[in-house]
Amino acid sequence: MSKAGDLAARPGRLSPGWFNRAGRGLPSAVLIGVLALLTVPPIVVLLDTSLSDEGAAGYTLRHFTGLFADPRFYASAWNSLLFSTLSTCLSIAFGGVLAWVVVRTDAPLRWLAYVTAVLSLGTPYVLHVAAWLFFLGRSGPINEFYRNLTGEAGVLLNVFSLWGMVLIQGMLWSPLVFLLLSATFQRSNAEMEEAARMSGASVARTMWSISMRLAWPAITGMALFVFIRNLESFDVPVLVGSPGQVYLLTTDIYLSMTEMPPRMGHASAFSLLLIAILTVLLMFYNRFSANADRYASVTGKGYRPRLFNLGRHRWLGTAVVLVNFLLVLALPLLVSLWIALSPYVQPMRLSALKSLSLENFAIVLTDPHYLQLGINTVLVAAGAATAAVVLAVLSAWLVVRRWPGGRVVEQLAAIPIVFPGIVVGVALIIIALNLPVPLYGSLTLIMLAFLIRFLPYGMRYAHTGILQIHHELEEAAAASGASQPRVLASIVLPLLLPALASAWVFIFLLGANELSMSVLLAGARSQVMAVAMFERWSSGQSVEVFALGLAWAAFMTLLMALFYGAGRRFVSIDRGQQA
Amino acid sequence: MTQDTFRRWLGSGLAAALLLASAAAASAQSEAELYEAAKAEGSVNWYTGLVQNQVVRPIMAGFEAKYPGITINVTGGRDNDFLTKILSEAKAGKLEADMTDGPSVFGPLKDAGLAAAYHAENAAGVPDQYKDANGEWTALIVYFLVPAINTELVKPEDEPKSLQDLLDPKWKGKIAWSGEMTVGGPPGFIAVVLSSMGEEKGMAYLRELAKQEIATIPSNPRVVLDQVIAGQYAIGLVTYNHHSVISAGKGAPVKWLPISPAIGAMARSVLIAGGPHPNAAKLLINYLLSPEGAEVIREANYIPANPAIEPKEPKLKPENGGFTAVAPTPEEEKQDLQKWIAVYKELFQ
Repeated sequence: MSKAGDLAARPGRLSPGWFNRAGRGLPSAVLIGVLALLTVPPIVVLLDTSLSDEGAAGYTLRHFTGLFADPRFYASAWNSLLFSTLSTCLSIAFGGVLAWVVVRTDAPLRWLAYVTAVLSLGTPYVLHVAAWLFFLGRSGPINEFYRNLTGEAGVLLNVFSLWGMVLIQGMLWSPLVFLLLSATFQRSNAEMEEAARMSGASVARTMWSISMRLAWPAITGMALFVFIRNLESFDVPVLVGSPGQVYLLTTDIYLSMTEMPPRMGHASAFSLLLIAILTVLLMFYNRFSANADRYASVTGKGYRPRLFNLGRHRWLGTAVVLVNFLLVLALPLLVSLWIALSPYVQPMRLSALKSLSLENFAIVLTDPHYLQLGINTVLVAAGAATAAVVLAVLSAWLVVRRWPGGRVVEQLAAIPIVFPGIVVGVALIIIALNLPVPLYGSLTLIMLAFLIRFLPYGMRYAHTGILQIHHELEEAAAASGASQPRVLASIVLPLLLPALASAWVFIFLLGANELSMSVLLAGARSQVMAVAMFERWSSGQSVEVFALGLAWAAFMTLLMALFYGAGRRFVSIDRGQQA
Repeated sequence: MTQDTFRRWLGSGLAAALLLASAAAASAQSEAELYEAAKAEGSVNWYTGLVQNQVVRPIMAGFEAKYPGITINVTGGRDNDFLTKILSEAKAGKLEADMTDGPSVFGPLKDAGLAAAYHAENAAGVPDQYKDANGEWTALIVYFLVPAINTELVKPEDEPKSLQDLLDPKWKGKIAWSGEMTVGGPPGFIAVVLSSMGEEKGMAYLRELAKQEIATIPSNPRVVLDQVIAGQYAIGLVTYNHHSVISAGKGAPVKWLPISPAIGAMARSVLIAGGPHPNAAKLLINYLLSPEGAEVIREANYIPANPAIEPKEPKLKPENGGFTAVAPTPEEEKQDLQKWIAVYKELFQ
């Protein structure tokens, strides 16, 4: 067949009208169906639970009126707002500066930031929080030092306060912000930064006026995203806030869920309220990102990310990387190691050195039960990450390139962003128990929960990634006769690959350490690591939990090193093709 | 109308007869028969809040060694966590739980119709206050919840001797308790104060105590005790006295105080009605009540409900330790738990 005939046979070229009408509608319809099946049932279940009078037939508005009638609701709302705003600012500022330094400059030791972020994400949250509490707590080194210095009996810092919560939450989230933003900075074009520098702008000015401005849609999107996660997070509010009697909205839910019997209706009503608030926020964000086209800086011509020369300010960049390493990784790990080696939780003192032993590690490493836990966890997290990335890239592409139904796809894929984990857990339990297929107590159910909850994370990566690929690249391919699947496979996917790989690793790590959903969904024969750790933690085996957590973190590190090794080989091939 | 009443009478009579028959059948089953039936089931799913490395692991090892061919799958966590699981499993008729235990699990399970009657062979010697007349629960372990102190932070002469001593302003901000809304947590403490001092004086005491700004640790009493050991707080208010003994044995700077009245509680085992492995569950309950099982519990430094086996540290029991204890019954709990929680919320949250 002649080349011309071959080209002419492609539908995109021959009859764009037909393709637009039928061919473009079908993929959207399929995706909408899949997404709706994933994200709508939890809402329906929440609605039903929030309106049901526990134990009695019929419907009631009791749970909603109860929420608004309680004066504490308003105090908690104010605390939530303050907590979410401040910790969002902290993690965005810290993670953002770090991401820029690492991705766009030539500061030495930049690799350390990736190691820190990945290791930190691979370390169970409960370890982070407990380590920070221990470090900043009454018997921690800081307060102990203060007492020794001044002879006072009190404390310098009270970590069980709003400030303690903001600090810990901000630190907990900064590695995620770093990873998400570094993907954005990687895709931004260095030409403009170089032009600014050559026109005489200072490093700070260039960073503020060019780098940050270009990344602005990504940063605001991220800020909203982190804000929402903070608003619905419950681990730090509960572990740090409630002992200091700082109550947040989520603390109220959590407390009502741990009463006997759990007040599911109250929690569901609250969740729906959150969904309403967050829907408004999301609509605002969507309107904002609709005209983000002008920020696209990866164009068809001369795209090659180049490093920014910091010159004699290089040490400053390294300092940022080092501080990050110390606060986000070294400190929690060191504290964890101390506790894991101790026979019981004891203050860090020289005199206690002789009591340290490897006994806890010996117990953890010789118990075959823990091996099965590890296998389960890797299977569940990897499965959820793969499914979420595939769904996200298809959805994001349809959304950004304005396919028919794109708005619906976007709304559906964004719904889970407003689901607190514990509520996804509750909703899925109710759903699984009412399905004829035996999902309850299976690993598949946990995977499904992860997929639903983490889909927006995948979307965030894919969406910002695709936003930055100028559509002229795809138009050029289509004009040369490539079909839409071919455009996706040959143009979009290769350019997106770094972002997708980051998304996969990110979701995998989140899943491997996820607790709030799996704690409700894990059955007697489908336990995962985080649940095992939480159960041992909450039933008072903290020293063993720290040993288990560290062993697990070491395993995750090994896994990440393997991924990275494989990834580097791939990236070098990629570069070879670009050159 | 009369026919209806008659039918209802007949129905309840029949139910009672069936209950008696099943109870008789259950107790008639010998240990060997039980083991045979349990072997066919192969495993038992035990939902428990007991501390795994302290007591659950030795129990599993002991049971599985005595009864080869039956494995124990443990689902742990806090009582309310696994209780939620059991209740939702039951709602859809897909029960996985076979057996559970805890200070406050019986009430909700009974309400949901999940507490099966089982008169274990080895429960015969268990005192009446440690078992249900209908066999719907049997205590495995007895608990006494008392204040505990960090001995590095509290000098011997400052040790509180009574509940009144806890009101001393020097303890302000230095006392913690757990967030368990059960008899094993603040509601239990409130119940005991109200019943021993009377409503009026009790409430006055609690109001004074609230001024001490007691920190609620969102975990169980074991975690509270760990924080006391770590020096985060000087006093843990509602802690298991045997936990202090276990930790002090490892060299931790902790000591429990025999302040009266202590909260009496117990690990009430409940055989789940409709669980997948009823015989293996019965075998496990029977084992835990046997002298052999109680020995494992004793070795772990817990207090067996079986009176024939004394705890390793005899002072853990009120009669030897010079303190009194008040133990709310499941009936009192059912009636008043919400009231105690309300007091907690009003004064301490």
